[in-house]
Amino acid sequence: MVSRERIEAVLDRIRPLMQADGGDIELVSVTGNNANVRLTGMCSGCPSAHMTLYMGVEMALREEIQEFEQLQVV
Amino acid sequence: MRVPTQFSVDQVVVGHSPRMRAIFDFVKVVSRSDSSVIITGESGTGKEVVANMLHHQSARRHQPFVAVSCALFSESLIETELFGHERGAFTGAIKDKPGRFELAQGGTLFLDDIDDVPLSMQVKLLRALQNREVERVGGTRTIPVNVRIITGTKRDLKQMVAEGKFREDLYYRLNVLPIVLPPLRERREDVPLLMEHFLKRFARERGIEVPQVSPAVRHAFDRYRWPGNVRELENACERIIQTCSCGTARVGCLAVSILFGAASAEGASPLAQPAPVASISLDDRLKEVESNLIGWALKVADGNKSKAAELLNIKRSTLGDRITRCGIAEPRSDVESAPVPA
Repeated sequence: MVSRERIEAVLDRIRPLMQADGGDIELVSVTGNNANVRLTGMCSGCPSAHMTLYMGVEMALREEIQEFEQLQVV
Repeated sequence: MRVPTQFSVDQVVVGHSPRMRAIFDFVKVVSRSDSSVIITGESGTGKEVVANMLHHQSARRHQPFVAVSCALFSESLIETELFGHERGAFTGAIKDKPGRFELAQGGTLFLDDIDDVPLSMQVKLLRALQNREVERVGGTRTIPVNVRIITGTKRDLKQMVAEGKFREDLYYRLNVLPIVLPPLRERREDVPLLMEHFLKRFARERGIEVPQVSPAVRHAFDRYRWPGNVRELENACERIIQTCSCGTARVGCLAVSILFGAASAEGASPLAQPAPVASISLDDRLKEVESNLIGWALKVADGNKSKAAELLNIKRSTLGDRITRCGIAEPRSDVESAPVPA
């Protein structure tokens, strides 16, 4: 079970840049070793932003947190 | 920088950094000469662009410019590639083939990745350069060649000579006019200019308007280390043009590796409020970058300053001066590099 705090800590690293662009990545829920996030703001409607953030953030989480499994964008 | 098929000197962005200006002034001067040039620079710093400029500003500009990467070929292939071969020289050699030296006859031959040429081949290269003639593999006749030699290397050849990996005689034969291209992180002032340039170019190619660029994206570009140098910046711009669907390039258009990289370079100065559009102090920024990198090198080198200096490609004494200037006491633990996903 991954704690919310550890996931938030990773998200916090890129959050300032996203917020500066009028967006955010919101941690909706954590279930076991998986997490659900929501993109808000300017980039939330952009398919390529979804793809890049989704893949990149998941990879960063896996790198930082050994047991992390999957990221869902809801 | 990708070299456009139709190279033109006007397409090259010089930038504002004094170092690049000095380099381009030097290029102008030495393009008139026929002497060998060694261009040293990390991958993506623009070695081939400079080689192209040297050729296109020279008296040989109407003759061929032949570029060849010595890293692309295996040891035995380099020889036939450079010197050519005669029919029947080996299985599969069904006809005569001129080498790159012959193809460059009268013009310029750019040998990139010269640091990847094996020692055995270096001897042959030296002989060709000294005698100004080549012999095709399997051939008996010597062919005189009149080419200007430009070499490119990502490693310091002098260092390789000291390690016995590069022939000293060849090094001195090649190293008449050295040009050292700085990595992009050492000329950050040029990042915005290069970004505009590439965005414009790719937008034109795709036939769309040049998108606006959000301050957060500019900020991330300023902060990122650009390990792949100008080529990486170019690709990031291409990605923006290819994926942007809303007319404004925002952080969502960037590779997350750039976001994380920029964020970890942020260090103690947070971007708590929306990106400051106010003025920034370039000197402070550069100093910060410098001390971050020095801290990183010291950490990687376990506090060994000579090793750290080597990592940073500067003299040991220079490192000492810079450590004093930046006020770094000892290897810092707060500059740990963050994981950088693709």
